[in-house]
Amino acid sequence: MTGLESRADMIVCQGVKKWFGDFQALRGIDMTVEEREVVVVLGPSGSGKSTLIRCINRLEVHQEGRIFVDGIELTNDLRNIEKIRSEVGMVFQQFNLFPHLTIMDNITLAPIWVRKKPRAEAEALAMELLERVGIPEQVDKYPGQLSGGQQQRVAIARALAMEPRVMLFDEPTSALDPEMIKEVLDVMKELARTGMTMIVVTHEMGFAREVADRIIFMESGEIVEEGTPEHFFTNPTEDRTKLFLSQIL
Amino acid sequence: MVIKWISQVVVLILVVVGLAFFAAQAGSNLRAKNIDTSWRFLSVNPGIQLGEGIDVNPETGARALWVGMVNTIRVSVVGLILATILGTIIGVARLSKNWIVNKLSTTYIEIIRNVPLLVQILFWAAVISNWPELTHGAGPIDGWLIITNKGIGLPRIFPSIGFYQWMVVVIVGAYVGRRVYNKRETEREETGRETHALVSGLGVVLAFAAVGLLIHPVFGFLGPVFTAIGDFVGGIPVFVVQLLLSAAMVAAAALWIKRFLDNLRTPAGLAKLTDDDIFRIVFAGFAALMGIVLVFIVWPGLSAWLIHSSRDFFHFLGDKFEWLRTGRPLDAERPAITQTGRFPNFSSSGLVITKAFGALLFGVVLYTAAFIAEIVRAGILAVPKGQTEAAGALGLSRGLALRKVVLPQAMRVILPPMGNQYLNLVKNTSLAIAVGFADLVQVGQTLYNQTGRTLEVVAIWMGFYLAMSLLISVIVNFFNVRLRIVER
Repeated sequence: MTGLESRADMIVCQGVKKWFGDFQALRGIDMTVEEREVVVVLGPSGSGKSTLIRCINRLEVHQEGRIFVDGIELTNDLRNIEKIRSEVGMVFQQFNLFPHLTIMDNITLAPIWVRKKPRAEAEALAMELLERVGIPEQVDKYPGQLSGGQQQRVAIARALAMEPRVMLFDEPTSALDPEMIKEVLDVMKELARTGMTMIVVTHEMGFAREVADRIIFMESGEIVEEGTPEHFFTNPTEDRTKLFLSQIL
Repeated sequence: MVIKWISQVVVLILVVVGLAFFAAQAGSNLRAKNIDTSWRFLSVNPGIQLGEGIDVNPETGARALWVGMVNTIRVSVVGLILATILGTIIGVARLSKNWIVNKLSTTYIEIIRNVPLLVQILFWAAVISNWPELTHGAGPIDGWLIITNKGIGLPRIFPSIGFYQWMVVVIVGAYVGRRVYNKRETEREETGRETHALVSGLGVVLAFAAVGLLIHPVFGFLGPVFTAIGDFVGGIPVFVVQLLLSAAMVAAAALWIKRFLDNLRTPAGLAKLTDDDIFRIVFAGFAALMGIVLVFIVWPGLSAWLIHSSRDFFHFLGDKFEWLRTGRPLDAERPAITQTGRFPNFSSSGLVITKAFGALLFGVVLYTAAFIAEIVRAGILAVPKGQTEAAGALGLSRGLALRKVVLPQAMRVILPPMGNQYLNLVKNTSLAIAVGFADLVQVGQTLYNQTGRTLEVVAIWMGFYLAMSLLISVIVNFFNVRLRIVER
């Protein structure tokens, strides 16, 4: 693999394998994501794409292979994990906002308690981020009072508040009503334009075609094909990719 | 609108008349059978002796029942605290990934909750009966701890001479500690630096307490001051207090009405009042008027009583702060055994957990803890896994995630069933009768065996347990409302 000496490599996976009991979810993933790159991971459900990005911030533990984030290897060392997690933001399919906290407290919780920021500074940053995702007027409400699209935008703001170097998106629009998908995708597009390193697991082909620098297609825990969106959508080489595209498009 | 009001009044009248009818009917039935109600037994000497309590030879029936109530409250309060702590520990242990801890707590829960509580209480009584005999000089650590078949004797720590002077220093320390805590806490909020607010606040209080041990006699001068205040308060004429109370009530009503109107006020001006609103305002004014009538005409003794009791309170403090009184603020005494085979009842010597108290306490605590453990486990599991994952993904450590994310959400699931367990524990203490612990039910039963006043005693039992249960419900509900999550 390309060595971790190259500074531009943000995430490096080498032969990553993962089992859930007898079921092998990842069968040796080799992947490199460079700084400022937007990678979209596609694949049928159960292909291991969520498991892969959950391994990258160690919500799941891989059993074989090595994963480096910004040059730090993911091991059982707790300090490494906490360091990496505060460098890597994650947005979940089910938003996972904290229902007992206001929008403001949701966003400032980690900056205040993990980054040890002064409250005033953390709140100013939170307001800035809420402006950016377009819902500053919701700051004093609770998550239960917001629509799905608004909640997901808050979740993005919450992840950004830790000023991460990488953002992971785990099917961020799959739990949303159709009319709310666009508002979330717009925020993600804007984020990609600012040069954030992003790995996005999604079924939104339009987003993949428009925003991705590279598309990775996975099936049964393996990377089947990867390449630019142009290559992927117009001229795929693998049969399995063609079958997948014919079912979706 | 009028129909709504009339219908409510009619329903109220029907309910009251119905209840009155049933009460009258029951009364005449009882009279027909020559059973009447009489409360005279409360004021005559029942001639009974109680196993333990604040007074083992009560002079009146009322006093006997009061001793029983105090005993019930004693075992309930201690039981609630211990059951909560033990239950929480076992509940968390059951979620542990450590195999032994996990299986031990599971076994505990399965055994305890599948055996009737009465059997368990009798079991503990039998266990305690098989401990060594109570003799002079029994117990390890030079008699500071005594474990015998009559119960467990522990040293008692009590306020001694100099306690009140010392408390002055401690109260000042608590105030200063609070200020330090607040200051540190704002500093943390503003700069983000860890300032150890809680540690420094508590440290200040402890420092004051320690220094107070040495310098507390200095505060003896407060004694004459308190006596002077007491003399002054005792000299206030009754009508001044009556006027002050009336003024306070009028002010409270006026303030309430003002706040009520402020809440209704919209930016466009005063909102239109519904007749419900008008009724509330009138009612507030009427309540203040009733209060004034109460103070001046119905119960003039209230003001006099207020004067006397505050005077007595300050004179009491004056006595405690005797000029240049010195001595240790706190003292401890070992459980003294004056007689073989018998602990002294509630003497100043030692804290004694008698066999009956111990058996009942162990029984209800261990039993309730098993249920509380399951509630705690359910509450923690009820918080979706995504919450822990989201907290982890943000870089929160496991402890922080538990404290800031999981527990606040688990608490709202835990609290309502926890309240039920608290109610159960208090009511289950009535099983005391099985081991002869002098709780309200046991005392009451002895009393009606002596006097034949069964109905009256049962009425008192029901009223007491109802009051206890309502009190617990109110407290639990208070926290319930505070923890509620806002939706929509």
